[in-house]
Amino acid sequence: MSTSSSIDTSIGAGQALRMRPPHVVMDLERLGSLHQSRLSFMRSLVRKIMREGWQIEPRRFELDADGYGTVIYRVQTTGDLFSFVLFSQYLDPDKRNDRVIASEWDLTMALCEGEVDDDYVEYLRRNVPLQEAGRLDAKVMVLSRANRSVRNFDSVVAALSAGQQPEVAQIAQVGYLYRTTAVYGSGKLGMADWEKVSGKHPDFARPFAAEMFNCFMLRNFSLQQAEHIARQRAPQTAVAMQPTIKRFFGIGNSTGLGMAPYLINHPQLISRWIEMRELALARVRGLGQVTAERLSRLHSLVERAILHIEQTVTEDAWQTENNRQVLEDFAALQDWLASQALHSWAPLLGWAERTLSLQAQELLNCILLELYPELVDNLEDRFALAESLELQPQMPGRDLLNLIEQHYAWALAIDFAAEGATETFWYRSEEKQEPRLGNCNLENGRDKQMPLGIGYLAQQCHRQLAAYLAEHPEHCTASFLLRHPEQRGIVRRMQSMAKTHYGEIQANLLDREVLPMHLLRCKLAFFGVSKFDPRSRLWVRNTMFQGAPLLEDIGQPFEDDWFLPLAPTVEVR
Amino acid sequence: MLISSNELTSLLKRVFEGMGYPVGYYEDAAGLVKWLQVHGEQGFGELQRALPFVADSQRPAPQLLAEESQALLFDCHGRSALNCLPSIVELAEAKALGQGCVNVKVRNCHNRKFVLKLLVDCARQGISGLAYWQNGKQPVSEHVASIAAGALHPSYSEALLGDDSVPDTQTLTLLLSTRIDLLGQLHGSSSQRNGYRQVSPEQFARAGQASLESGMDISIELWQQLNQLAEAVLVESSEQSRSGAGGR
Repeated sequence: MSTSSSIDTSIGAGQALRMRPPHVVMDLERLGSLHQSRLSFMRSLVRKIMREGWQIEPRRFELDADGYGTVIYRVQTTGDLFSFVLFSQYLDPDKRNDRVIASEWDLTMALCEGEVDDDYVEYLRRNVPLQEAGRLDAKVMVLSRANRSVRNFDSVVAALSAGQQPEVAQIAQVGYLYRTTAVYGSGKLGMADWEKVSGKHPDFARPFAAEMFNCFMLRNFSLQQAEHIARQRAPQTAVAMQPTIKRFFGIGNSTGLGMAPYLINHPQLISRWIEMRELALARVRGLGQVTAERLSRLHSLVERAILHIEQTVTEDAWQTENNRQVLEDFAALQDWLASQALHSWAPLLGWAERTLSLQAQELLNCILLELYPELVDNLEDRFALAESLELQPQMPGRDLLNLIEQHYAWALAIDFAAEGATETFWYRSEEKQEPRLGNCNLENGRDKQMPLGIGYLAQQCHRQLAAYLAEHPEHCTASFLLRHPEQRGIVRRMQSMAKTHYGEIQANLLDREVLPMHLLRCKLAFFGVSKFDPRSRLWVRNTMFQGAPLLEDIGQPFEDDWFLPLAPTVEVR
Repeated sequence: MLISSNELTSLLKRVFEGMGYPVGYYEDAAGLVKWLQVHGEQGFGELQRALPFVADSQRPAPQLLAEESQALLFDCHGRSALNCLPSIVELAEAKALGQGCVNVKVRNCHNRKFVLKLLVDCARQGISGLAYWQNGKQPVSEHVASIAAGALHPSYSEALLGDDSVPDTQTLTLLLSTRIDLLGQLHGSSSQRNGYRQVSPEQFARAGQASLESGMDISIELWQQLNQLAEAVLVESSEQSRSGAGGR
């Protein structure tokens, strides 16, 4: 079974393409198997920067010998101007903490519109290092912080100071010098609202574009800072890092549970992101021919994927097993490809769906997207969406009941009476409002849980509505809600989501065995990270922009081929 | 201090959630306050005046006293508009969409100025709306807000009532129609009537744009008060709960 794409129909692509159906795509484990693709936000951003030739220069680079101080980059795009302001300060190692409850960081930074004068920089200096404890204004678009990967940073500086290149094997272990632990935008702490950013600054009008740019700049600064310290430390012997090695450094990211509620609280946006990815895949699947050139590229990317996974390091047993399975699957894929004469991609995808693990299937899908930039890349402009859940008060109650049965059948099928089915609750802690998971058998606070158990709420609503309609069969939604105000939120959500293509993530998030990691990975894959390294079921480290071009690459030929980056070979001079 | 629109919404949701508003209601209540503030109509002031009434979830639910084909009569039992008006207006919307026109009277309802955002919601559904209410004690003021179907912003006018008027200060009269343009405002002008003030749709739009560009000013006292109210949704931290955050 597959479903039609409304987008391609609306843009006049003729016969609607067949996309994978919601019950397949919105399965939580599959969403937790996604990888970076051409449509990931980092990829889109880098394409834009490179193709438009943004001019990014340090306007102020005031670092002492230890790399502490203030740096301001001036960012001139084709039609706009921004400032990236960064403060680097000494951090007591005992205070280095990736959690949201930390209060000091090695680096803190802000992306601002326009130029920043000295007074404004001082205003930022008083607030940016404080992060959540500070206040900003609507000139600031993104606020972020990062902690040093001390072992990596020190060894890179030591190598460069000694006139040597960093050990590639070590970068393959930890592919970054800093980890960012929070990137705030969208009006947090007094910053510019998304409506302002998207309306006034088209360069950042795609979801999370400004946040991704912040991380891109952080990555570049981290490399410049390491080189700076090495030069200061040993001016006679220090060398610059070779560009191929430099590109292999990304920026680390540590993402915890806090990201998970976003996917539930922005269902229209998530549905749209999924739809665009699926539409791209449907366009490829629908092609009537496979050229030798594309097939050759497929083989090459499959080979690269195997190497990339082999070079991915994680201590997590679950992810290790996933990676091992993908390697086994891709070996089988190579065998299968060698035995087939492909005339379209449909047989390959059909075989993959029957044979491969979810992570391998989704990696193959991403590879196929790489083969057809001309079919895929233009969808990146459709990721933004004005979100609005709208109640339809006039909808007859019977129609609402049918809507729930049609679009929330997955929720009605869950046995919430089963042991453990409602054992988890999601809440905000009084400790910096940190989102946490609780077990209702062990902890208090269930009465304050966030309404993220959409399946449970949908089923409860369906039951109440059916009972109400038995008494008032002709009543409309508004009448039902006047009697049952507690159903208002879920009714509005269900009516709105029924209009989207992919609807809800189909999972019971209250189950004792729920894996929030899948939610984190889904969103991070849309961001474009790689090297997933779970540290628990609630927290994952990963790498952003590994393999991406550097600032000094802007203006050079650009192939947009930093997908699945591989460890470089050191040039011997 | 300056805050953003998104920040205000997020805080207000937690404030109203902490007061016991159900899911769906607390988002709406936050939206009503935010709309007034963003559009230059002192949403914070209205909210401060409303705070004694808004934690009213223990009051009886709004009651539909009478219903005719084109008329509805409600008693809100002293609830704030924030905690009852959205669902009432939605029932009225449903009737307007079915019958073409509806006349709604809402009794015993506080903070009725928050109806402005609901009129905008009606307009988005293709419904023209007009709201009338009186407010205050010596002097009593009267207020009219109206919007054309499909319009993005309403018009609003207010003025003081004459001394001989008999005030009716807890009632809201609402007309909604899909067939009639219900564009109205108070008679007179600032030179003829005390306290006369009029806000055009264009002025609302400009105020909204200015708020988006520069943020909104809020007193530290109110900010702290709202944050304290919002703490009601937070769960006490413990060693056990820290393990549920996933970090190390």
